[in-house]
Amino acid sequence: MSEDKHLAALKESIVNLDFAGVAKAAEEAMKAGVDANTAINDGMVPGMAIVGDKFEKGEYFLSELVVAAEVMKEGIKVVTPYIKGEGTRKVGKVVIATVEGDHHDLGKNIATSLLRVQGFEVIDLGVDVSTEKIVNAVKEHQPSIVGMSALLTLTMPRMGEVIEALKASSMRDKVKVILGGTPITDEFAASIGADHKAVNALEGVKKCVEWVSAQERRN
Amino acid sequence: MDEMTRRERILKTSNGERVDKLPFFHNWRHMQIGWAEREARNRCMGISWARPSYVTKIHDVDISEQWLKKDSQMVYHRVFSTPVGTVYQDEMRAPGTGQWHGMRGWDDITPWHVARLIKEPEDYKVVKYIVEHTEYIADYYPLEQAKNWLGDEGVVMDIQPHQPMQTLMIDWVGSEGGRFFIHHAKYPDLVEELCQAIAKSREPMYEIGAKSPADIIWCGDNIDGVLVNPRLYEKYFLPEYEKMARICHQHGKLLASHMDGRVGVLKDLIAKTPLDIIEALHPPPMGDLPIGEGLKAWPDKVIWVGFPGSVYSMGPEATRKHTLDLLRDTLPCERLCVEASTENIVSNENLLMLTSVLENAELPLTSEKIDKIEKSLK
Repeated sequence: MSEDKHLAALKESIVNLDFAGVAKAAEEAMKAGVDANTAINDGMVPGMAIVGDKFEKGEYFLSELVVAAEVMKEGIKVVTPYIKGEGTRKVGKVVIATVEGDHHDLGKNIATSLLRVQGFEVIDLGVDVSTEKIVNAVKEHQPSIVGMSALLTLTMPRMGEVIEALKASSMRDKVKVILGGTPITDEFAASIGADHKAVNALEGVKKCVEWVSAQERRN
Repeated sequence: MDEMTRRERILKTSNGERVDKLPFFHNWRHMQIGWAEREARNRCMGISWARPSYVTKIHDVDISEQWLKKDSQMVYHRVFSTPVGTVYQDEMRAPGTGQWHGMRGWDDITPWHVARLIKEPEDYKVVKYIVEHTEYIADYYPLEQAKNWLGDEGVVMDIQPHQPMQTLMIDWVGSEGGRFFIHHAKYPDLVEELCQAIAKSREPMYEIGAKSPADIIWCGDNIDGVLVNPRLYEKYFLPEYEKMARICHQHGKLLASHMDGRVGVLKDLIAKTPLDIIEALHPPPMGDLPIGEGLKAWPDKVIWVGFPGSVYSMGPEATRKHTLDLLRDTLPCERLCVEASTENIVSNENLLMLTSVLENAELPLTSEKIDKIEKSLK
C-alpha cells in the first residue's frame, strides 16, 4: 500500500468515527514505514478538518466532534512511540480552565482537543479552578492565550475576576483572553474586558489560530 | 370579566385557552422570599411548584455511604453492591451543603458528581440490575400539601426525572470529557440495553404521576440541542414522550418538558412530540431560538419562557428592554407564560422591573399596549 493510501485510511477512520479502524490504520502505516508525524499531520489532522467542516455544515453534531477527537487520540497513541526527534513544532501556548465553582468541561475539553490538533500546547487546568491558580499558571507557563469556560450564570463573574487579577499582575497585555460557555454573551465578554467570546469550540479555536498567525506575521 | 386568579391564568393558557393577562410566575425552587417577592406577587406574579408523586425503593442492593478523602478533597462516596457487581459514585459537596437551603447556587440543590455511577463498560450490567430492582411507590402527600398551600396562587407540577437516555447522558455516565458520547460510540449495545431497561422500569412511575393530584406532569429533561442532537432526540426522546403523553392525557394531565438550552436544531422534532408545554425555553442570548419562532413552529404547544440569567446579570434596564422585546416578538402573546427564573436567584430590582412590565400585559397584547407599558416605565 502506498503512503497516500495509509494516510487516506487514517483520515477516513477519523471521519467515520472508527475506533478500531484508526488503530488498525495507524499500526499498518507504522509497519509500512510511514513517518509518525506525517501520519498525524497529513492523515489524522485532515480527517479532523473534515469532521470540523461537517460540524459547521450541520451534518455532524457535537457528539461526532467529541468522538472524532477521541478516535484521533487512539490513533496518536499507536504512532507516538514512532515519533522521532521533538515532534511537531508548537504554534502557541494556551492556558485553559473552567472557572471556580463550575464543573462543566465538555466545551473546554473539545476546545482543548481541537487546539492540540491545530498544534497548540495546551495547559488544561481542569474544572473548578480558582482565580489564583489560573493567574499562577499564566505566570509559570507564559501562554499567548488564556481560555476560560463557565456554564452557570453564577460562575460567570469569576471570569472578570481572573481578568482583573491578570491586570493586577501586569500580565493582561501579554495574553489574549477568550471565553466560552452558553450564558456568556458578547456584551458580557466586552464588559469584563475579554478579547473574544467563542460561539462554539470550533469557532474559538479558529480565533486562536487567527491570533497566533497574526502574531507570527508581526514577528 | 372578573380578574382571573394566577392559577387560572397559568392553567387556562397551558390548555390553550384565552386569559385576561399574560401569566407570570416564579419557580418556587429558585425564588427568594421577602419584600420584593411579596410586592411582585401582590401585583401579578404567581407560583409554580414542582414536587414528586412517588418514592423509590431499591431491592436486593446494598448501599453504603461514607465520607472519603480523594485527591485531597472530601467526597461523599456511595457504593451500590449487587449480586452482579459493584458500582460507586462520588459527590463533592461545598462547605455548607446540607446545613440549610441557602440558595447560594446549585451547590445547595445538586451536589457535583465527581465520579459517576458508570465509568467502565462492566458498570452497565450492575446499573441495569439496580434499575430492574427499583420500585416506584405512589406518595401523593407532597403534592396534596403543595396544592392546599398554594390555592389560587399557582400550579403544582409532578417532577419526573430526566428521560432515560438523558439520565445516562447527564446523570449516570455524564458528559465530562464527552464520556457519554464516547461510550455511545464505543459500546452502543450496552448503552441501548440500559436505556431500554430504564424506560421499562419507569412505566409504573408515569402511571403514578398521571393519577396524582398534580396539575401538570413535568419532565426535568434539561434539553439542549448541542448535547442532545437531533438523531438522539428522534431515536430516544420522541418515543418516550409519546408513551408518557398517552398515559398523562388519559388522566387529563398536561405534559411539560424542561428545555432551557439551545434547542433551535431540535425545533422541527419538538413539533412532532405530543408535549403540551415547552418549559423554561430560553430566548437568545442564552438560548438560540427566539420565542416568536418557537410559537410559530409549535402551534399546538404552549411555551413557558425562562428568563435568561445573563440578561439579569446586566441589571434592571437590560431586564426591561429584554422583556419589552420579548412581548413585541410574540404578539399577541397567547400560548405564552413567563417564568421569573428557572436558573438562579433574581435580584429585587430585576424582579420588580419584570413585574412592572408584566403586570399590565393584558391579552391579547398589541403594539400600542406595549408602547403604553413602555411609557409607563419612564
